[in-house]
Amino acid sequence: MDTDPTVDSPVDAVDAVDVTKRYGDLVAVDHLSMRVAQGEIYGILGPNGAGKTTFLRMLFGLIRPDSGSIRLFGRTWAEAGVDVLDGVAGFVESPRFYPYLTGLQNLEALALLDGDDQRARIAEVLDIVDLTGRERDRVAGYSYGMRQRLGVAASLLREPRLLVLDEPANGLDPGGIRDMRALVKRLAGSGLTVLLSSHHMDEVEEICDNVTIMKRGAVAFHGTLTDLRAMAPDPGHRLGTTDDAHARRIAREAYPGVVVEPDPDGGLVATGSPARLSAYVADLVRAGIGLREFTPTETPLEALFFMLTDAGTTAERDVA
Amino acid sequence: MRRFVITVVAALAVVVAVSGAVLAGTGGGSSVTRARLERSLPTEFARLYADQAGLLGHRGVTPASLQARAMCDKGGAVEPDVGPGSNWICLVSWTDPNVPMPPEGYGKFEVDVHSNGCFTAGGPSKLVGFQTITDRRGREVTNPVYEFDGCFDPNGDNTPTGNEFPSVLNVTTTALLPDAERKVSLQLSCGTGSAGCQGTVSAAAGDTPLGTVPFDVSEELTTSLHFPTPVPQRAQSVTFTVTTTVGVGPTSPVTLPVPPARP
Amino acid sequence: MTTGTLPAEAGTTVPAVAARRPGLLAALRFETLKLRAQLRAKCLLIGAILVPIAVVVVVHSQPRPPKDTLFGRFATENGFAMALLVLGFATQWVLPLLTAIVAGDMFASEDQHGTWKTVLTRSTSRSTMFWAKTAVAIAFALVALTLLAASTIASSWLIVGHQPLTGLSGQTIAARSALELVSASWAVMALPIVGFTCLALLFSVWSRSAAVGIAAPVVLGLVMQLVGALGGIETLRPFLLSTPFEAWHGLLAAPRFTGPLLDAVVTSAGWSVVCLTAAFLILRRRDITGG
Repeated sequence: MDTDPTVDSPVDAVDAVDVTKRYGDLVAVDHLSMRVAQGEIYGILGPNGAGKTTFLRMLFGLIRPDSGSIRLFGRTWAEAGVDVLDGVAGFVESPRFYPYLTGLQNLEALALLDGDDQRARIAEVLDIVDLTGRERDRVAGYSYGMRQRLGVAASLLREPRLLVLDEPANGLDPGGIRDMRALVKRLAGSGLTVLLSSHHMDEVEEICDNVTIMKRGAVAFHGTLTDLRAMAPDPGHRLGTTDDAHARRIAREAYPGVVVEPDPDGGLVATGSPARLSAYVADLVRAGIGLREFTPTETPLEALFFMLTDAGTTAERDVA
Repeated sequence: MRRFVITVVAALAVVVAVSGAVLAGTGGGSSVTRARLERSLPTEFARLYADQAGLLGHRGVTPASLQARAMCDKGGAVEPDVGPGSNWICLVSWTDPNVPMPPEGYGKFEVDVHSNGCFTAGGPSKLVGFQTITDRRGREVTNPVYEFDGCFDPNGDNTPTGNEFPSVLNVTTTALLPDAERKVSLQLSCGTGSAGCQGTVSAAAGDTPLGTVPFDVSEELTTSLHFPTPVPQRAQSVTFTVTTTVGVGPTSPVTLPVPPARP
Repeated sequence: MTTGTLPAEAGTTVPAVAARRPGLLAALRFETLKLRAQLRAKCLLIGAILVPIAVVVVVHSQPRPPKDTLFGRFATENGFAMALLVLGFATQWVLPLLTAIVAGDMFASEDQHGTWKTVLTRSTSRSTMFWAKTAVAIAFALVALTLLAASTIASSWLIVGHQPLTGLSGQTIAARSALELVSASWAVMALPIVGFTCLALLFSVWSRSAAVGIAAPVVLGLVMQLVGALGGIETLRPFLLSTPFEAWHGLLAAPRFTGPLLDAVVTSAGWSVVCLTAAFLILRRRDITGG
């Protein structure tokens, strides 16, 4: 049934093999394989509709895969039923609670379903997510951010070894996003295995060790963040100068590896390797051209992400 | 709203489909039968009548002493005597020294029977009284037998009771209307009963016989008899004598006035 | 955010047996907790006590008693008849509605609040959740029936009286016997109520809408009543779930007959088993994509 305790290598937290889910003609998840070792911080990235949430729902047993298997700590749903979720917690899309119950009542109720009167821990987890003092208010009156935090609290109540978070910062205001990322970072740092899904590259970049990038249900990239960074193309830099025409001439004549184009929003966009760009900019200054702005339009990984997932026009990118 | 309608329609479709299958298999009979009604109605009536006798201070009346019997019929000769309906007629006869039976020997009850084996019966006021009666202490109380509800066992004894009562033949014409040739006709009505009404009617205007016409009427039907001989000019009334071979007719001849001839 | 103790370090192997294993009892406590927090459940139970009192008072004050329902003609003079009259009224649509308001919402409320993904990702299986919801729905229905019956019988006894009752075969029933038979008649209604509870649960799971779960069983019940009253197709009656509502008639007849009572047991059990089986299979096979 479980792994032999005498064997050295610990069992993977998540071991998905060739998982597929179809809805009629639409292939939501296409032969996805993925392994998350214990203690890892793993990211699943992809634009909306890539199949991340569908895969996570299959992990939680909410959806039945058409083919393939998913093992959590070595056990499948077919073998162990709901016991598969021992030590596993998290939420899919934004967490939902009973609006007519208070935050505290919701947690007490869910604790019943965990088979334990986890009353003692409830105060603790509320403290971790900073909801102490609001737990006796009805969830109907909670803000979006409060509900997200209550979702994390409900997950922590299970004392998980694997935490699965589906776009935890989604829909939050900038302050909420910052706080949520800090919380996830702390949880990740405490030795928990974390599986995080997102459509923001920078979120994953900050905390994950390994990442799977999904595109239309299939895997577009699989590996460590280091490997990903190595693949990343040079990002464009927005260039604000006092003499755009002169700057462009210099690039055309002296820097074949640097492409300078006019930016539709005004100014210029320069693309090239970091070394060449630095030399080019220094040259501009020497030529007497003033430099007002020199900022990357996106991180290298963001650029790679869009490339891998075929996110299309700038408008689509902004939405993602 | 749309989902609700779709759900209800789908559920009804399932119900209809299953029902159709059940009916096809079982043939759709009924547990409401003549035999069951003929057993349950007089039994209940006897008990309630005994209660009434107690209220009225009549002695010697018990459910057993009444020996009530019934013959029930649904909707005349043509309709089969099975199934729920408000047109059931039960002819009930019983023995009460305080209240003699009419010549035909029974009282006519109108019974409304429902598919669940429950019924509401209304008794003949001439024999059972009206809605309220005055009890022996002078109070006005509800008459227990005037109208009552009952239920019989839908799986009860269904063997025929064999109770049969004759139909009552009534003359329903109240005034004669001679036609252009001064011939008259008489309307007869045959009530509920086992065999309908058969016999003859002889008419005479004073000393002049107007003919003898036979009749054969099924139960719960009416007929018109036409007398071949015209009524004499100076006749003031016609007397009809009914002789029944099947059924119970009027015990004495019926005399009806003739309207005066127009000058 | 503040610091607090975070979960323990990840272990290297899976523990042999998890420390806690929640069973049906935990799930029952969960569903009961939720039901008790809902206003509608409390209102229904309070209504089950108060409404019969009002009905008895109103009917008792009518100059002409309602003769179209069994025992209606005696209802203004006899408390037992009044209790049976109210029973007859209640079986038309009140009893199915009373149970459907809770049972019809049992599963649909999770869809409405999007909480399936919340409750199915704990340590309780779908089967256990299903049985807990079923048990709580049935328990609520029986509690509501008991309150309704007790309130009706008590207020009829007190307001109208406890005179001997004329039964459905013209027999006179003494007050003590009448009380037993009237109570038994109300108690027998538990059978079709359980059937309607299971029907409402099925609609709740299948339609995922509380409105459908509540209204559809009531509408279906009314339609079945109409169909059952028609002549010529009476072999259908044993299959209709509305027929068991009349199974008490035999208790008030002399001699007592129990055929319809036995039919009621079979019919109610049949409907319950079929509806629960279908509901169970629907829930087990469902992909939870919403919420």
